[in-house]
Amino acid sequence: MACRRLAALALAMAASCAIAAPEAVRKEIVDRLQKQLPQLSGAEFALGSAAFDDALRAKIDENAGDAAPIVAAGHKVWTAKFRDGRSLANCFPNGGRRIAGNYPQYNARLKRVVTLEMAINQCRKAHKEALFDPTDAATMGAALAYVRSLSNNLKVAVRVPPAAEASFENGRRMYFTRMGQRNFACASCHLQGAGERFDGTALSPAIGQATHWPVIREAAPVTMQARVRECLELMGAAPFAAGSDELNDLEYFLSYLSNGLPLKANVWRPKAP
Amino acid sequence: MKARATVLGALVLAAALPAAADRPLSAVELFVQRDKGYCISCHQLPAGVGPASTSNVGPRLEGARMRALGKAAIRAAIVDPTAANADTLMPPYGRHRILDDQEIDRIVEFLNGLP
Repeated sequence: MACRRLAALALAMAASCAIAAPEAVRKEIVDRLQKQLPQLSGAEFALGSAAFDDALRAKIDENAGDAAPIVAAGHKVWTAKFRDGRSLANCFPNGGRRIAGNYPQYNARLKRVVTLEMAINQCRKAHKEALFDPTDAATMGAALAYVRSLSNNLKVAVRVPPAAEASFENGRRMYFTRMGQRNFACASCHLQGAGERFDGTALSPAIGQATHWPVIREAAPVTMQARVRECLELMGAAPFAAGSDELNDLEYFLSYLSNGLPLKANVWRPKAP
Repeated sequence: MKARATVLGALVLAAALPAAADRPLSAVELFVQRDKGYCISCHQLPAGVGPASTSNVGPRLEGARMRALGKAAIRAAIVDPTAANADTLMPPYGRHRILDDQEIDRIVEFLNGLP
């Protein structure tokens, strides 16, 4: 019965998205998950799978210190002088404070949605510096760990202007499309199965999935796109490249779903099974 | 010379032993292996049978329920569960060639024989 309801929801959302109403899509998913998981308060959705697991929450607290050296390394990356004397900090308002919850965001000049990773590399490109590899923990991962920590406890506030609705819709479609040898959609686990246990871990609900990145796993930052790529491999699908339009749009959709939830960067996670 | 003898010895040993890949995986191995059934990620088995898990995406697998379903229905549910329920989360193990016919047969026998 729950499956039928999901199918009906997906169809209804597909129909409603013909007129692209991101807020209606978000509200429908929020309402569904709040009914499905009444034990969670609004803010608890930001905990992801830890919302269902007291032992994991205790371990997160116990290992919170793992983030400190990564954030410190990220601060160095963030403030390192380019050859022209500028730095990443100079490219962002307030040196990067209170900005992370607004990403991804639509850039009217580029006519595309820009993730925080892309904005970091745009800064480096503008100052004639080599681009960071979006999968490199020592540079991009550390920079993200630092700059996102400057927005801790602020609410996610991603906007989808009319010009960006196609990107949002593409992300939504990706989330609901079954793919790979295992025939899963992201929504199969994180909407239909949210809160249930897969391989010993509670499945994080769709809302809140974008709040706690990067996570710190085995003393290294893992970005949201890196984690999505792991998920795609588990689904038996060839993962889209980090920084691809597909993953950027998926990140945009998921970040918008987390609007209003507190951002908390650098949350510890156990080694992947 | 010693190195050459070691390499030769390794080759002889490799030829004499069946490679792990050649040995059919048992139902329990198929049950837990990530690139095979990996059923344990979603289901729990009765206590004392195979590895314990806390998974609950799919229902607990209990012998009485399996035998009530019957082998043909269990097999059909493994080959392509979407045929009966388009919205199921269970992968189509046969249709997507995650498991071959013999592997599915072994899992069907295993499930049918659960306590």
